Amino acid sequence: MDIEAARETILTTLKKKSKSKSKFYLKDFYKMIPDEKPRAVKNVVNKMVQDELLEYWSSGSTTLIGLKGMGKQAHAEDED
Amino acid sequence: MAKHETPLLDQLESGPWPSFVSDLKQEAEARAKNERNIEYQIPVDAVDDLLGVLELSFKHGRTHWKHGGIVGVFGYGGGVIGRYCDQPDNFPGVAHFHTMRVNHPAGKYYTTEYLKQLCDLWDFRGSGITNMHGSTGDIIFLGTTTPQLEEIFYELTHNLNQDLGGSGSNLRTPSDCIGSSRCEWACFDTQAICHFMTKEFQDELHRPAFPYKFKFKFDGCPNCCVASIARADISFIGTWRDDIRIDQDAVQGYIAGDYPPNGGAHADGNWGAFDINKEVVNICPTGCMSMQDGKLEIDNKECTRCMHCINVMPRALRPGTDTGLSMLVGAKAPILDGAQMGSLLVPFVEVNPDNDYEAIIEVIEALWDWWMEEGKNRERLGELIKRQGFQKMLDMTGIKPMPQHVQEPRTNPYIFWKEDEVPGGFNADITEFRKHHLR
Amino acid sequence: MAFVSSGYNPKKPMENRITDIGPRKYDEFYPPVIAKNKGKWKYHEILEPGVLVHVSETGDEVFTVRVGGARLMSVTHIREICEIADKHCDGHLRFTTRNNIEFMVDSKDKVEPLKKDLASRKFDGGSFKFPVGGTGAGITNIVHTQGWIHCHTPATDASGTVKATMDVLYDDFSKMRLPAQLRVSMACCLNMCGAVHCSDIAILGYHRKPPMLDHEYLDKMCEIPLAIAACPTAAIKPAKVEIAGGEKIKSVAVKNERCMYCGNCYTMCPSMPLADTEGDGIVLMVGGKVSNRVSNPMFSKVVVSFLPNDMPRWPEMTDTIKRIVEAYAAGANKYERVGEWAERIGWERFFEKCELEFTHHLIDDFRDAAYYTWRQTTNFKF
Repeated sequence: MDIEAARETILTTLKKKSKSKSKFYLKDFYKMIPDEKPRAVKNVVNKMVQDELLEYWSSGSTTLIGLKGMGKQAHAEDED
Repeated sequence: MAKHETPLLDQLESGPWPSFVSDLKQEAEARAKNERNIEYQIPVDAVDDLLGVLELSFKHGRTHWKHGGIVGVFGYGGGVIGRYCDQPDNFPGVAHFHTMRVNHPAGKYYTTEYLKQLCDLWDFRGSGITNMHGSTGDIIFLGTTTPQLEEIFYELTHNLNQDLGGSGSNLRTPSDCIGSSRCEWACFDTQAICHFMTKEFQDELHRPAFPYKFKFKFDGCPNCCVASIARADISFIGTWRDDIRIDQDAVQGYIAGDYPPNGGAHADGNWGAFDINKEVVNICPTGCMSMQDGKLEIDNKECTRCMHCINVMPRALRPGTDTGLSMLVGAKAPILDGAQMGSLLVPFVEVNPDNDYEAIIEVIEALWDWWMEEGKNRERLGELIKRQGFQKMLDMTGIKPMPQHVQEPRTNPYIFWKEDEVPGGFNADITEFRKHHLR
Repeated sequence: MAFVSSGYNPKKPMENRITDIGPRKYDEFYPPVIAKNKGKWKYHEILEPGVLVHVSETGDEVFTVRVGGARLMSVTHIREICEIADKHCDGHLRFTTRNNIEFMVDSKDKVEPLKKDLASRKFDGGSFKFPVGGTGAGITNIVHTQGWIHCHTPATDASGTVKATMDVLYDDFSKMRLPAQLRVSMACCLNMCGAVHCSDIAILGYHRKPPMLDHEYLDKMCEIPLAIAACPTAAIKPAKVEIAGGEKIKSVAVKNERCMYCGNCYTMCPSMPLADTEGDGIVLMVGGKVSNRVSNPMFSKVVVSFLPNDMPRWPEMTDTIKRIVEAYAAGANKYERVGEWAERIGWERFFEKCELEFTHHLIDDFRDAAYYTWRQTTNFKF
């Protein structure tokens, strides 16, 4: 897999959708990189969190992922 | 002098059962006194305010907490649950009050040295209030502020050689029963495999990998003391394939009343003298036991290993020695489509630490591949099995169907045959057919 | 209070970072008698309520004294547990799955001094700190969830309902007179963080009202698509709402009859709270078990559809639980669990024996599984 291209695709897709929605399930990322196995995409996404491009949001039972600092949650949670 | 009046909570201080209210009060007082000269890193009156806000909930009949999803430690998707008080001005000590899950050691044995280290850390950087333990098994640190999360994690990993547990769409902290460490019935070393799997799948435990939560639980025998069969996506339950070991002398001991039945569990009831026919032979669900010439006989081939006779006569009967485990899959609590028990997938597999539990890992990986590919968002494995069918799971794991997989065969004949299962496929020649059947 | 750094550098989170090390290894913590005899245990016996002996093939014995604990525990209390373990157990102890604490000693003469020490310790309010019991055919500690102490969607309190219940059931914690063990569990909302769905008696917090909608703030605080996606029954849809002053704003509407009151939307969106004084209360479920002993594992069944929250001691709830326990104690055969007893005598008889009212709420009407719970036979009792 071209990891750089995959990361770029993820960032572009998330930015495009950021007006209406800032957080996504892991499965939504699989659709962005349809030719790769879920496991491979998962590793790219988790690495992007390490690199501070993305961040997790946890409901406790499920985890959502979005662009770092985007969305209304940070403000609502008093963490911005 | 308490910071907040708590007339309702005060009524929970009486009665014999340990009062959490008394305990919270003693902690609030200890923090106020600070005899250890701790430089508290979160408000010293956090526990006072915790009592205050709980009293308010008792008064209102409503919670005063809000959820927070962003806070965590860097690079981990689980292990921290954000909490904020919805009355921060009245209870500033708990305005930000996040939970941390600390991965407990398998078997939940501790040395006091280690527990005291945890206490010192949590006193210093958190509220000093814990759960020993949470429902999944983790040690729960209840209440700290956002800046302290990384500090606590740093100290845990650097000084205590200790990691966080799982939450979110991750592998959750695996847990186990006491196993062979102090139980004669354990058919495998639950602690060894629980620890191994926890270490093996650290990435899956700390970073979202799945459509939803995923739980492993290890029960050493079919008594299921950690309730794996009811709440683990994969339950690992010890079992055996050979004969129940019998000590006939000890059987006679029970009959003679030398030993208390059921390990003395019924000592305070008026149950009369032990009657082996009434209490063991006739209760056996398969009817595979009998008394012949005063000797206890077991038709082991017919035994389903329910543990009843062994539970009743622990000195006389023990599980066999050809031991392994059964894997049942898909258990979950009711939300959403109803509760599910684990369904039997692998009746018997060897538990072999020498090859890193190869045979077991193979099944786990196959199930995960399937679920990661096909599982919908927030769909547990058990729900996927229901949606796509048990057969599909057999396909994905390469396990052969066998009568053990079902309670009973299907009651409808609506078998959706696949084309390659039917000779000639689905494209019969209509012209050929019409040669013999007029329109 | 001055900030004290652990050594962590917030500007460079990856610097010297240690991750993925997992838990401490279990065998570091084994008491010597456990380490030596692991895998060699021959049999066990409950010598008296709360006191067990395990006998090894080596001839060694380990004596365990089990005590109840509120799972909500302060470090002061844990340090006291450590003090006891240091004094009697060479610095070792363990916790059970059901939040009990186990003190282990390697000879019988160490049991009495340990028990005496434990019994002597009481909280200022008068309750025992370390009640001995929770073994055999009795009632052990209640596993439970957070409740009002720390959760955002509970319909009742957990520690409070548990304390009130255990005070009422205390005799059966310290005795073993029941037909079999009786497991009580508590979860404070239908999400069941504590898996109570297979317990002999389950206390469940339950909401009965859909979430409130804070329209004016909803779109500011929450991402509407996330709130919609959070709903497991697809009851939430986007809506335009006119607020005071005539302004039309984006918000959501909830199809009330589809709402199952899970609070998942509130988790995503703080403008959709559902806690309600009159709406919230307790459901009681009965007859579940996880053991495979004699009969298959069973789910618990709803036998009381609602009891109001009555703080601080929930007397109606504890009275009902006590009544069920007494009816079971009087009616069940030796070794029979609550669910097995109810199935043997029939649920119609169960309601009679426990003096519980049967209402339409107790007949399943949720999806396909409901049919299988109706009676498809003429075999019933009057």
